[in-house]
Amino acid sequence: MVHVYNCHPFSSQQIVQVEQEPGLVCCGGGALFVVAKGGCKVDVYNLEKEGCPLICRFATMGAVRSFHHSKIGDYLVTIEEKNSATYLRAYTNWRYQAEEKSRVGVRLLGHLLRGASMWGGVQMEIIEIPLSDRPVAVACCAVTGDLLVGCENSLILFTLRTQMQQNLHPSQQTLSSSLPKTQQNSGQSQTSNQNLFVLDFERSVILHLPKITPKQVALCAGFVAVQAELEVLVLKLEETSDAETLEEPSNISADFPEDQVDFLLIPGHQELLGDRAKDCDICVSIEKTGLEDRRHYSLSYALFRRFSPEYFQGCSVEETQLHSLQLYPMFSSNQSVSVDEPACVFCFFSLPTAGYLYSMKGGVELLSAYLYPEKVLGAVLTDHLLHVITKSALQCFTVRCAAVAARLEDPYIDTTMKACPPCSLEVCALRMQLFIGLQSLCIYGHHVVLHSTADSETPEQTGRSTPRKGRELKEHNRLAGIFLAVGIDPATSPALENLLSRPFLRKWTISSPKESSPSGHGWNLYVIDAVSPLALYQEMDEYSQSYAETNPQSHSLRHLLSEAHLLLRVAMLQMSTRQRAAEDEHSASVQTGAREGLANMEMERSELEEAFRLNCVQLGDCFSRASQKDCHLALPYYRMSGLSVTDVLARNRTLPSSPRAYGQGFLFYLKHFLLEETEHSLTQEAADEVINIINQSEPSMLVEVCCSPAMTNISPDRTLRILRHLEDTAGVSVPVTIAMATMMLRLGDLPQFKQLMERHAEMQLVYGFIEEPRLLLRGAGGSQRASVHPTALTRQMVTSHSGLLIAGMVALYENNKVQLEQADDVFKELGCQSSLQVDFWEAMLMASSCDAVIEELLFRLASVYIDRLTNSDTGSSPEHKPLKSAEDLINWSTHYGALHPWLTVLNPAHMTSSQHQVALHKLQALLCGSSFSVDSVAPLLERLSDETLWGLSLHLLCDTRRGQYGRSMEKLLDKCPQAIIAYANHQLQDKNMALWWEKLLPELCNRTRASPDNTILLAALKETLVVVAMEMSPAEFLELIPDDGTASYFLPHLLTCSQRHLLA
Amino acid sequence: MTTKTSLLKVILLGDGGVGKSSLMNRYVTNKFDAHLFHTIGVEFLNKDLEVDGHQVTLQIWDTAGQERFRSLRTPFYRGSDCCLLTFSVDDNQSFLNLGNWKKEFIYYADVKEPEKFPFVVLGNKLDVAERQVSTEEARQWCQENGDYNYYETSAKDATNVAVAFEEAVRRVLSMEERTDHLIPTDTVKLHRKPRSAGTCCS
Repeated sequence: MVHVYNCHPFSSQQIVQVEQEPGLVCCGGGALFVVAKGGCKVDVYNLEKEGCPLICRFATMGAVRSFHHSKIGDYLVTIEEKNSATYLRAYTNWRYQAEEKSRVGVRLLGHLLRGASMWGGVQMEIIEIPLSDRPVAVACCAVTGDLLVGCENSLILFTLRTQMQQNLHPSQQTLSSSLPKTQQNSGQSQTSNQNLFVLDFERSVILHLPKITPKQVALCAGFVAVQAELEVLVLKLEETSDAETLEEPSNISADFPEDQVDFLLIPGHQELLGDRAKDCDICVSIEKTGLEDRRHYSLSYALFRRFSPEYFQGCSVEETQLHSLQLYPMFSSNQSVSVDEPACVFCFFSLPTAGYLYSMKGGVELLSAYLYPEKVLGAVLTDHLLHVITKSALQCFTVRCAAVAARLEDPYIDTTMKACPPCSLEVCALRMQLFIGLQSLCIYGHHVVLHSTADSETPEQTGRSTPRKGRELKEHNRLAGIFLAVGIDPATSPALENLLSRPFLRKWTISSPKESSPSGHGWNLYVIDAVSPLALYQEMDEYSQSYAETNPQSHSLRHLLSEAHLLLRVAMLQMSTRQRAAEDEHSASVQTGAREGLANMEMERSELEEAFRLNCVQLGDCFSRASQKDCHLALPYYRMSGLSVTDVLARNRTLPSSPRAYGQGFLFYLKHFLLEETEHSLTQEAADEVINIINQSEPSMLVEVCCSPAMTNISPDRTLRILRHLEDTAGVSVPVTIAMATMMLRLGDLPQFKQLMERHAEMQLVYGFIEEPRLLLRGAGGSQRASVHPTALTRQMVTSHSGLLIAGMVALYENNKVQLEQADDVFKELGCQSSLQVDFWEAMLMASSCDAVIEELLFRLASVYIDRLTNSDTGSSPEHKPLKSAEDLINWSTHYGALHPWLTVLNPAHMTSSQHQVALHKLQALLCGSSFSVDSVAPLLERLSDETLWGLSLHLLCDTRRGQYGRSMEKLLDKCPQAIIAYANHQLQDKNMALWWEKLLPELCNRTRASPDNTILLAALKETLVVVAMEMSPAEFLELIPDDGTASYFLPHLLTCSQRHLLA
Repeated sequence: MTTKTSLLKVILLGDGGVGKSSLMNRYVTNKFDAHLFHTIGVEFLNKDLEVDGHQVTLQIWDTAGQERFRSLRTPFYRGSDCCLLTFSVDDNQSFLNLGNWKKEFIYYADVKEPEKFPFVVLGNKLDVAERQVSTEEARQWCQENGDYNYYETSAKDATNVAVAFEEAVRRVLSMEERTDHLIPTDTVKLHRKPRSAGTCCS
């Protein structure tokens, strides 16, 4: 079904005062070009001024058969005939031909010597472009100004060259330079003293297409389109620096198998998109002709479409011919038209009964097919509408170009952030405007130019004598017929009936200076002004109101609002283009006018943005109430609307009378909002309303919702009641209990809070936190970079349930709900860096299995312990008792080792504080463990003095870990000889056994020699001798006994050694 | 719009400085500028006129006479309906060169039957006192070369200018009638109710 909306796309019409019957009409550069029928003269009218006054008139060299204006370069290209020969010519500087009697320069393509313009004033110049084949069709690129000429079986591309020529009359200096494209745009107001831009063309590429006979061609940003009677082929021609790519594309032989040669083959319907188009049977070969430039081109197929002649009914085979081929560029709002390639390129072509719009960039696809109610003679695509003419009416269809452009511009569209109606949204028709005997149309900006001639077979129509009443009836019937043709019976729809009964020209103003002029002759040239996309939006918006009141859920409302949305997007695109152009102008010349223009545009922009927000609100409403598959779109549209949640809540409040159900879309929006980490917290009123809504629609989400940061102002007693009710109906669950405890906490009822927390075992509570991390941490479960904050419950648990808190945090970490850095921040925020945080690290060491994390934690803990030992007064809060003692850690964690026995000799029974002692034991245990890398904390340990025994113990542990036994033993003998045997017994084993006699025995001998009365040393020496005697042969033992030793002292040991050896 | 309108291309050829541009300016704008610059390449002007009941748009092509502009002018000879060979009566060399101009034209215009092509010869600068070419010499040359019409003109005094151009038109029209070779630009369909004020030609 084609939607037909009662909107007025046109506002007014003027009649151009042409003197002779127009033959050909085209427009561009703010001007309307008219060639009188069969004439050799072009009349140029100003489309931008009231009444379309004549700008100039110039003679052509032959009879114009077809012509086209290029915006870039402001030239008019013609195909002309004279004496049976066909010529291709480009008319430049035509604006200077105000005086018809001024001389016109003529030159050949490429013969750009010294422009005749140098002699004095600017002179119109005609560039004759010689061709070996007869030109059939021409097209200009709207982006580059390049020229494409379609001949019998070939396409020739001419690149536009612009040279600046200084008009330094009379000194006749010539200065040439290439110029940016911006300055090539229609230079209407150059005075004779300014630099002139002289145009020329360079033949750059010829495409040979032996199997297609072009009827129309189009060119845009490297896309080359050619249209034959029933075929359209679009190619992409790309400039490459690489000469290699100039290979001819694979010419697919279209030769038919021999047995079919005798049959006449009528080609069937075919559509080949993108690369697949190369499978069409039209081969293309490329011939580079550019002499001066070293550019190369590569060619690829982009689109092929073929229609079979009998494809459409209702149209005779002869009439079934393609027309209105167009390639249309669209720039995104952040693009510079002068520098960038257009973001989108569209291709349109039409049969009498249907039009086809393709998007060419980012994957070739059919955007829309337009099924016309009547035979269409011509069609022109613009940013937001497709204008078509039939014999008797001008009609508009909406287009989806803006939807494509928006998506190419903004990658966030089609996410939960942003939305835009789909490119595949069904197109609709707007109300049509009736005319008589339409021949052709062309469009410049918002001016639609129509050429009509009275049908000579029905002369009575030309006269004004037809009674108005009869005319209206006729229009009514015609329109009703069209509705019926597209499958709508107006009688079944009161809105359409109403439409048909209303006068047509609601906003229609006719400003024709001579009211009688249309009646004088059978032809007319109308300039119809189209309303701006914003104005059309406003009408659609108005129109949507009535829909919204009667049937807010209807598909039509959504479609209408989507149409309106796309109109706004077009308006915004156009606005950015205008603004950039104005800014360029502004920067070029500081004129007050330009500044005012910018200010006006700023106002317009804010008006547009406001309309856009409003439209997003309406679309949001539309989708929020929906329960269909697209309801999730409520979220992005509401987001784009900038409405607060409170506003959205208010818009979706159900009426007391209506069934109390919230739309799926609204719930989706709400849930998304609540799950998101937002700074914005709702008022108590709004939060309570949200809880009610969730309780009604999705009670299982209640806990999750309660935890949302947006819900901090929720009223605790109401929520408690709701949660209790949930417990009653759905059964007890740990998260619900914790949520209730949180509410109790909010109420300040600590006994109740404790009671609730005691309902479940600690492990179950931990599982509850894993299930709903946001009970403990705001922001948990989000991205790794997200900031995480403790909840009120967490703060309370610091004092009342610290063990559970640490267990919960470790569980969250282990389940990837929180990162280590985030946990650090939380403890910092809780003010327990050196207490609970250390407990957390210790607990993590017990739980974690990730090596990198373990290493990090070991280092952190060692630093903390060292810190505590060095600064006994600062440390943690005195009241905090670590959750885990050194013994616990040694027992439960593999990273803490059992304290070496010799440490007991060194460790004092009492230290300055118990904390100090705990820290010492934990650090010693770490050093005794195997995971810890000593080197990492060596610099920290150096701060500790080895004057104290405990300090010594740590240094010894480090040295021992490093294998420096000798050094350790020396230190021990120096400072604490009573520990030496305990140390040696523990450390000097196995491969270190030799140290007993290699290091310890000589050392002891030396020391006892120095102080013979030292009983500790003597005892140690004795113990050492016992060990040595056990391990060595008598001979070896003898070697070790010092020469100055007393034999009686050593003899018993030698004896033991010998006896043991004998036994062995 | 009841009459046929023909577009006739008439080309002015002759040595540099003989007054081709002045003749065109005099005829179309009725002005004379003694200090015109050399023409570079090719320029043209249109003039609508009625000759013997025929509505005609005369497209007058002015060319650069100097040798160095040869390559710029010759491509545009093609399609001419009439050629005005011009010399200056005070410059014998320009008269002697007429033959060369004729040859150049016939060669580049690709004229099928040169002997039937309408040439008109103009002896300009009649106002100058010291003539180097006599009327008789000029007539004789015309006679010998194909019985061309000869006009002595002065762009400065406007002597014979309009007559010469109108003669050119007549020559073409008579040719057309004879050979039925008129290439009409009038694909205009006649209306049932012709407009009373036919102001199609300004």
